[in-house]
Formats: sequence, structure tokens, C-alpha cells
Amino acid sequence: MDPVHRVHVKLLACDLLSLVPSSSSSSLLRPRPRPRPPLPISRAETLGVVVLRERRPLLLSFLVDDGSGCVPCVLWLNHLHRRHFSASTSAAPPLDVVLAAEAAAERADAVRLGALVRVRGRVGVYRGAVQITVADVVVERDPNAEVLHWLDCIRLARDYYDVA
Amino acid sequence: MASSAIKPGTLVTLQELEPSSPMFKQGASLRVTGKLQEYSVETAVAVISDSGASLKIDTRHLRDVVFRIGSIYQFIGELLIQSDDDAILQARVGRNVDGIDLNLYYQSLQLRRQFEAEFSNSTRT
Repeated sequence: MDPVHRVHVKLLACDLLSLVPSSSSSSLLRPRPRPRPPLPISRAETLGVVVLRERRPLLLSFLVDDGSGCVPCVLWLNHLHRRHFSASTSAAPPLDVVLAAEAAAERADAVRLGALVRVRGRVGVYRGAVQITVADVVVERDPNAEVLHWLDCIRLARDYYDVA
Repeated sequence: MASSAIKPGTLVTLQELEPSSPMFKQGASLRVTGKLQEYSVETAVAVISDSGASLKIDTRHLRDVVFRIGSIYQFIGELLIQSDDDAILQARVGRNVDGIDLNLYYQSLQLRRQFEAEFSNSTRT
């Protein structure tokens, strides 16, 4: 298995949005210069400014703009929806499910228009477009965090992703 | 989500926003950074500056942004070029970025542009 398979791979949006579906696995493929084969990626990390936010009953969708592209992100808020836990219809949801729901709701509240956010999650394709299904999102208070993320992305792409 | 309708705000310096620049285009989506010099509550127009260049920002669509003269702000929006090459950025989002290391920011921006150019030119399989 590729060593980056379970890693949240740091990518600039232009790089992330160029991932393509794989015919043999749920991972997406990052094209690389010849003769390297495409790099399978299942999780990614992006950092940028929230430029669109749309709250629905069971999910929050938002766009993260890092200047090279806008990454669609989806944060599910359906933990307490009945089909997502296997208890009987009359039982209260398990405590871990309640805590997960509360954590997701807190994250959703933190995702505000104009906030600088770091998003980690699973990459996938929805309606033909790459998106991140959010596992974790945090608001970055230090504006320099964005610059350090760019430098990480560039270094990793040049020194690892393109040559590993 | 109408994500395809929203273009990324290309990162530019205020010095680059001169009429001869390829970034100086009507409707261009840009991200600009500068120190707040003026702000009018009546018109919601702010003026930011950096290294001798300045730009007007239309902030009427912004919420939850507190404007303090002398603080550094970053705005994303569309450039509206009026008569006599007078430009104003119609901001969609804005935020205070006090504490940002602008020297590091601009140096890193050059590295980023170089990387993005290599990325788009590379013959990826």
C-alpha cells in the first residue's frame, strides 16, 4: 500500500482539484510527471478562506478559497439521524454519537464566511467535482499559518509527491 | 451549492494593480492585502495601502468585520474599473490579518506562483 494512503495529504487547491477518480479503488489519483504512475490519495488537507457557506438540515457545505482554486467541502451533521445508529426506535442515541453530533455542530458554527480554516477529510467526487468530506475543521487564528501551509504544499509536492 | 460560479481570488499585491498589469481587468476575482488608511461609515468604502500603492474597497456586503485604522486587512472580491482607470474592489469577504509577516507573505507568493506555473505546464499523465 502506498505510504500516503491514510495520510491527510497537503495540497494546494489547484493540485487537489486536478485529482481524478480511480477505476480500481475509492482513492483519487494525482497525476504526476512521466514516467511516474499517478499517486493514489484518499485523504487531503487544505487551508484557505471560507467564501461560501450553505447550511442545510443534515449538512454544511462550504467553499475554501486558497487563491489557486475553491475546494468544495461537506461537513455532515446527520449523526442523530435514526439510520445512522442501530439502536431501536425508542432508544436514545449512544453517548459517542451524541458527542460526535455536538462536535460536528460546534465545527459547523466555527465555519464562518471570511474565516481562515484548515480542513482535513476524505477526498471524493460528487457530480463530477472533487470535494472533501470533512473529518476535522479548525479556524486558524494566525494569518501566517496560510503561508506556512503553502510552503509545506510546495515542498511536499516537489520533494515527495512527484518523486516518491 | 453554486460553487462553480465562484472564482478563486487571485493573490495580488497592491503594487501589481496598475492599469498596465494583466491582473487589472474588469471583474477579476482578486485577494488583496493592505493597511487600512481610511474608512467611511456612510459609504462603506475603505482604502487600504501597501508599499506606496493603495486601493479602494467597497465593503457594503461584509458583515462581522470591525474596521480599525492602521490594522491590516485582507479582502476577496471582484475588481470594478471605473472611469480614468479608477478601480474599486467589491469585497465578498474580508478579515483582519494583524500579525501577518508581509515580507514572508510576498516572498512565499513568488514561490507559489512559480510552483503553480510549473504545475500547469507540467506534462502529467
